Amino acid sequence: MKLTFASLLGVAATLSLTMPLPAHHSFAATYIEDAPPTEIKGTLKSFRIQNPHSYVQIEDEKLTDKEGTPVRWVVEWGAAAQLATQNVNAATLKAGDKVVVTGAPGRNPEDFRLLMRTITRPADGWKWPVGNQTFR
Amino acid sequence: MKLLHTLPIILSASLLLAQGPAGGRGGAGAPAGPAAAIDFSGMWTGNMQEDSAERGAGPDLVDYAGVPINEAGRLWALSYDPSRLTSRFHQCDGYVAPYSVRAIGNTRVWEERDPKLQKLIAIHWYSQTFEGHRVFWMDGRPHPPAYAPHTWMGFSTGTFVGNTLRVETTHLKQGWLRRNGLPESDQATLVEFFTRHGDHITYTSVINDPVFLTEPSIKTTDFFRQPIDPGGWLFPCDDSEQVTGRAPDQVPNYLFGKHPFLEEHANKYKLPALAMLGGAETMYGEFEAKLKTATVAEARAKTLPAAGPSLTSRAVDPDPKDGNIHVLHVRGNVYMLVGDGGNIVVQTGDEGPFVVDTGSGKLTDKVLAAIKELSPKPIRMIANTSFLPAHTSGNEKLKNAGSDPSVVGTFLALAAPNAGSTASILSHENVVTRMNGSLGAPATPPGSWPIDTFIGDRLRKFHNGDSVELFHTPNAITDGDSFVHFRRADVIVAGDVFTTTQYPFIDTANGGSVQGEINALNAILARTVFEHSGEGGTLVVPGRGYLSDEHEVVEYRDMVAIIRDRVKAMIAGGASLQQVKAARVTADYDTRYGANTGAWTTDMFVEAVYNSLKKK
Repeated sequence: MKLTFASLLGVAATLSLTMPLPAHHSFAATYIEDAPPTEIKGTLKSFRIQNPHSYVQIEDEKLTDKEGTPVRWVVEWGAAAQLATQNVNAATLKAGDKVVVTGAPGRNPEDFRLLMRTITRPADGWKWPVGNQTFR
Repeated sequence: MKLLHTLPIILSASLLLAQGPAGGRGGAGAPAGPAAAIDFSGMWTGNMQEDSAERGAGPDLVDYAGVPINEAGRLWALSYDPSRLTSRFHQCDGYVAPYSVRAIGNTRVWEERDPKLQKLIAIHWYSQTFEGHRVFWMDGRPHPPAYAPHTWMGFSTGTFVGNTLRVETTHLKQGWLRRNGLPESDQATLVEFFTRHGDHITYTSVINDPVFLTEPSIKTTDFFRQPIDPGGWLFPCDDSEQVTGRAPDQVPNYLFGKHPFLEEHANKYKLPALAMLGGAETMYGEFEAKLKTATVAEARAKTLPAAGPSLTSRAVDPDPKDGNIHVLHVRGNVYMLVGDGGNIVVQTGDEGPFVVDTGSGKLTDKVLAAIKELSPKPIRMIANTSFLPAHTSGNEKLKNAGSDPSVVGTFLALAAPNAGSTASILSHENVVTRMNGSLGAPATPPGSWPIDTFIGDRLRKFHNGDSVELFHTPNAITDGDSFVHFRRADVIVAGDVFTTTQYPFIDTANGGSVQGEINALNAILARTVFEHSGEGGTLVVPGRGYLSDEHEVVEYRDMVAIIRDRVKAMIAGGASLQQVKAARVTADYDTRYGANTGAWTTDMFVEAVYNSLKKK
């Protein structure tokens, strides 16, 4: 295929729409991205679609704090617009869903934070990412 | 995934090559003589091949190489725990202008011209990321006074120098030099040069920061023009509770010398940690020789404050100190008066001015004249945020210049014929017990004492069409502090619990404590709402300093909590007051707030923190 100047511009314009939306923080500074992913299983408590990044909160099915209260994980995900292009919207997940998540661990273990790598809902087989979907 | 990052670079290069030499199209880049206005209108995208990690996903922790930071900047960054950004008060923090220009995303530029004369008034530079809307004023207007608000974008004025647009920016908020915690202070100023060559712009920025830099930080980049609107210009941000169960006074931070990832970045690239700790020397070629001999011990030494006396503030004094009272419109019917010690706030309306604090008493006649200019009606009410003389010394004169017609005609007037002939002074009850000398503080004249006092947490008034609330914050800088919230105008008057000029004046002899101070700042934050990207919305008038919003209060709260944590840790380790002072626990904030002379020195502040923690 011959790449014309006009076609290049078209691709450039499209790319600019799909560029990762920067958070105000640095991913590398916030998460240990080189560490083996942490896997958690639990109940989804909330799914907040927001910018610059969305968040999923999950109550761990096994892990508890010193008082015996289940640990609540917060998992950082893509921006609302990014997820929308990947067929993820506010109706995709609902409170009470049983999910399995893997993610890069946060630098402060006491925060119970993860940077989303994968999420699956075994009940119906729904999963993300599919193919090369990403928000990074 | 990687393709997405790489393709724009390839495309950028292709576009650069495709469009030929500079100035080849339309003549926009051709010099048009001195002071000629070059049109920058259009959509532009920054080339990302330079510092792409910085501008995309973000830098590693403890990578400060090549940045001319001073000791304070390095220690501030090393104290930064990225978990701090999980606080809802930081989640939507925007980028400051110098960072915003080089951020990922597109930019739209347009001119604003006088419709009759076609004179250039301003150039608007709007960045997609965080909706960073900068206005370069081209009409020769001056920069605002030092007591005016600071914003992410700051205040910019521009001039053309040949075919280059030169822009000067002041009034920036505290923000990032790098997104790994390396700070840029609210005292930083920026000079930029935009040179258009046809469909390209060459851009150079020079950041001067007296608080955190020893030399200017100079960067360049370039932009290419986008002929097709890329869209996606909005950048909303909402905050939410991210880490559950964290106490509101907890601010994630690393103690000096305890950064858990100190050598991670250096090890990753097999470089000495010393190089990663930055400083002007790391910008120059001569440093290469040092790399061969650098030791871990040298690096570790740089993670602690150097021995010696505390450094002092390099910040601009927001008080003009010219013997005049300066009036700044805050919002709606609320004004800030600057010049007589502590800031004074005046709310105007049909019922007569409601005044918060009355200054140091040195310029009270001028304060009265300024209030008269704002409202011809007599002052009706005065609120005191504390008993401190910088805020109450004008009480008697202002009170006597006012009146409270709501009292005239009531049964009170039957017993006291003079009732209502002066304004009413409101405060927490403990203000009076400090002013009347009953608790040991020197007594002030009885005519200056508040008469409408309250106990408990709140006093409410509806005045001039607004709900006005006084909230008591126990044992903050004294035991009688209140902040005042004009709810409709959404303006909070903080008193000396929050200033932009000094460490908090924690008066332990009169009931102040560091924990109460943190709680008071959190009480203010519990009432603020930002407008966009963590700025604007609720405005906060500090006891001293420039008109602020939530962001300045948060940074101040963080500072007090972090210093408390350091002192607490040293007390737990058995340190004496002298040892705590010698450790320079405020070293990363001293170039912003420190003082070694005057009424409130760094040593006094550290002593107040130490003593109030020891009391527990």
